[in-house]
Amino acid sequence: MAGLDDVFGDLFASVDAVVLFSPSGSYYERFSAVEDLDVIVIGTENPVGAETFVELPLAFDNISERIRFGLEGALEQDIIEDGDALACATSVFDDEIDTVSRVRANADQHTGIYDLFAKSRADPEVIKAVLELAIELGKKGQKGKPVGALFIVGDAGKVMNKSRPLSYNPFEKSHVHVGDPIVNVMLKEFSRLDGAFVISDAGKIVSAYRYLEPSAEGVDIPKGLGARHMAGGAITRDTNAIAIVLSESDGLVRAFKAGELILEVDPEAY
Amino acid sequence: MVDWQALVDEPAVIAAAVLVLGLIVGYLVGRLNKELLSASGVPDAVEGTPFERTAQSIGTSTVDIVARLSSWFIYGIAVLTAIHIAQLLDTDAFWLRVTEFIPQVFVAVLVLILGFIIADKVELVVSEYFRGVKLPEISIVPKLLKYSVLYVAFIIALGQIGVHILALLILLAVYAAGVVLVGTFAFKDFLVSSAVGIYLLLNQPYSIGDEITIGDQTGIVQEVDLFVTKIETDSQEYIVPNRKVFEEGIVRMRE
Repeated sequence: MAGLDDVFGDLFASVDAVVLFSPSGSYYERFSAVEDLDVIVIGTENPVGAETFVELPLAFDNISERIRFGLEGALEQDIIEDGDALACATSVFDDEIDTVSRVRANADQHTGIYDLFAKSRADPEVIKAVLELAIELGKKGQKGKPVGALFIVGDAGKVMNKSRPLSYNPFEKSHVHVGDPIVNVMLKEFSRLDGAFVISDAGKIVSAYRYLEPSAEGVDIPKGLGARHMAGGAITRDTNAIAIVLSESDGLVRAFKAGELILEVDPEAY
Repeated sequence: MVDWQALVDEPAVIAAAVLVLGLIVGYLVGRLNKELLSASGVPDAVEGTPFERTAQSIGTSTVDIVARLSSWFIYGIAVLTAIHIAQLLDTDAFWLRVTEFIPQVFVAVLVLILGFIIADKVELVVSEYFRGVKLPEISIVPKLLKYSVLYVAFIIALGQIGVHILALLILLAVYAAGVVLVGTFAFKDFLVSSAVGIYLLLNQPYSIGDEITIGDQTGIVQEVDLFVTKIETDSQEYIVPNRKVFEEGIVRMRE
């Protein structure tokens, strides 16, 4: 087996750091016991209490997405530098870590996914909750039929001033926050209403039934997307909000920030 | 048959029977207690407290100690009753005092154990809560709470076994009054703000998206919570304590 070590040794020879994706406690201990080794932990939470930790907003199923997002976050936090060689240990089949891949950090591949969560006006937890909500809605639909939905998160005061009500606001004088247990069911029912949901920085659902009136000038979103995406994308250019859109036609969840498409996920993949 | 009758009437036999019965009942009560405590989730609740850890290190557990305590209490009663029946010690005064004293000691010990566990648990929970605040001085708060709870437990336990605790009670009263005074003084603004905040959340005189003026600050409302209202203009973001809403009044801008 010594021969195998030589061959596979290339994978982790002279790496700048080891990146562990959601390691178990004992696994992490073994790595942190190795001297002169930079260990970075990436995951949805940090149960092992690692010092260098990058938070993932979603437990990405797709390995390359998981690694790309994690490394972008690490680059953003100046934990790693452009061109660093990294040994990324992650799990593909089971919960245990079973795969090592050698990745070179590339700052040019900047997509802004990490910025979407960490550098938006709204709280990262709120954005995460809305994204999960949209994904869940996309997975199940309304009574088995696909639904579309448009969530505008953050900078709610400005968004409210750049929109008008289509009908009475069902959330008026209510104190519903995303992440409350009842919200998923409630929003699923309300998703058949037209218009956008407006959610404040702290996660309060301010209004449903909003007709957005941004100027669509200079909005660069892929051709072929409908009015919902256009409205969502455009309002993020006019305000500091972000838009999370569930497409009715192709079932994908997309996120816009500053008028640009940042993230595209398939609900079926989660 | 006659022999049997004579034997049953013998005080020593009755005493032995009482003793055996006491041992059996004590053992059963101990077991029952243990089962009940385990079923009601006590082991989970006390997990991680120093008391439990100390108990573990000497090869037992909190549940075991409490259960055994109740057993011993019943053993003790049985032994005393047996002694009394067998008339080994014929001193009524002594007997009277002991019967009064034993339950008190039992309750006192129970209160102490409970006090230790609650104190440890309070310290754990509070320090867990403060973990997000990375400030070394904050670690004094859980400690202070722990010793406050312990102090109260000691007073109750001492009171139970009849020690004069007036001085300790006065100390406690002074301490509590101090905490309340300092608390109201320090949190006065918070209390006022949250009272106004409740009114604002219930009545919503203004909501997110309205343009309002509070005092000198004019802007669009971004967020209303219990303590503060966040309003902002294009370049500034004001975080206004809610009490200012009542002190200065609100001006709602109409277009």
